[in-house]
Amino acid sequence: MAAEESSPLTTHVLNTGDGVPGTRMALSLHRLDSNLMIWTMLSVGTTNEDGRCSALISREAFTPGMYKLRFETGAYWESLGQTCFYPYVEVVFTISDPDQRFHLPLLMSRFSYSTYRGS
Amino acid sequence: MSAFRLQQLKGHILPENKITTMAGSPSPLTTHVLNTAMGVPGSNMSLSLHRQDPLTKAWSLITAGVTNDDGRCPGLITAQLFTSGVYKLHFETAQYWASVGETSFYPYVEIVFTINEPGQKYHIPLLLSRFSYSTYRGS
Repeated sequence: MAAEESSPLTTHVLNTGDGVPGTRMALSLHRLDSNLMIWTMLSVGTTNEDGRCSALISREAFTPGMYKLRFETGAYWESLGQTCFYPYVEVVFTISDPDQRFHLPLLMSRFSYSTYRGS
Repeated sequence: MSAFRLQQLKGHILPENKITTMAGSPSPLTTHVLNTAMGVPGSNMSLSLHRQDPLTKAWSLITAGVTNDDGRCPGLITAQLFTSGVYKLHFETAQYWASVGETSFYPYVEIVFTINEPGQKYHIPLLLSRFSYSTYRGS
């Protein structure tokens, strides 16, 4: 049995074009340093067979601020022998209350994507 | 003025969303912002179009604009300037939601896309609520 997900921030990539999880997609989490106004990479990962990526960030590191999840969509579709309209997708979001859990799925096809705050 | 006469005059005036960029040609790249939470166009939203330099990967601003009452922004780029490459549309979403008295999970939305065939038309809508958004290549 898999360990319970302790990261307060989770994601789930769905390939809506093929109706399957988006497996083995590279992604990264970044936080904006508000003083220097530059992005710092916090973690890098690859989605598993279910399109999920655990341990994105620890509770301690998850402070209020501006974050972005970057999904390497172009490389993903290329690995399937297809082109993609979006070379990558970056979802930029603001965390005011880091005590909550944040689930940010990415539903994507070659020519569309959507994201939302889920649970 | 009679209603009939008013209709005649309206027919002479181009709707704002047909304002053209140059030499009478509409932009080959268009967008449309919809506020799906409220079921209205996303009007008065600031946005900008940028192109990425293929060598340096630096972004340069092509156009900055504001969506009209219908959530559209005509004149994004001319056919001449619309060459193959990587572009991004940047939407000031938090600013938009603040203007209607709300907060937004997303401070801004950037949609990065690759244009391989600049002879085609590209319509890239943004469907937006405070906690979700979606985009697609439309028509």
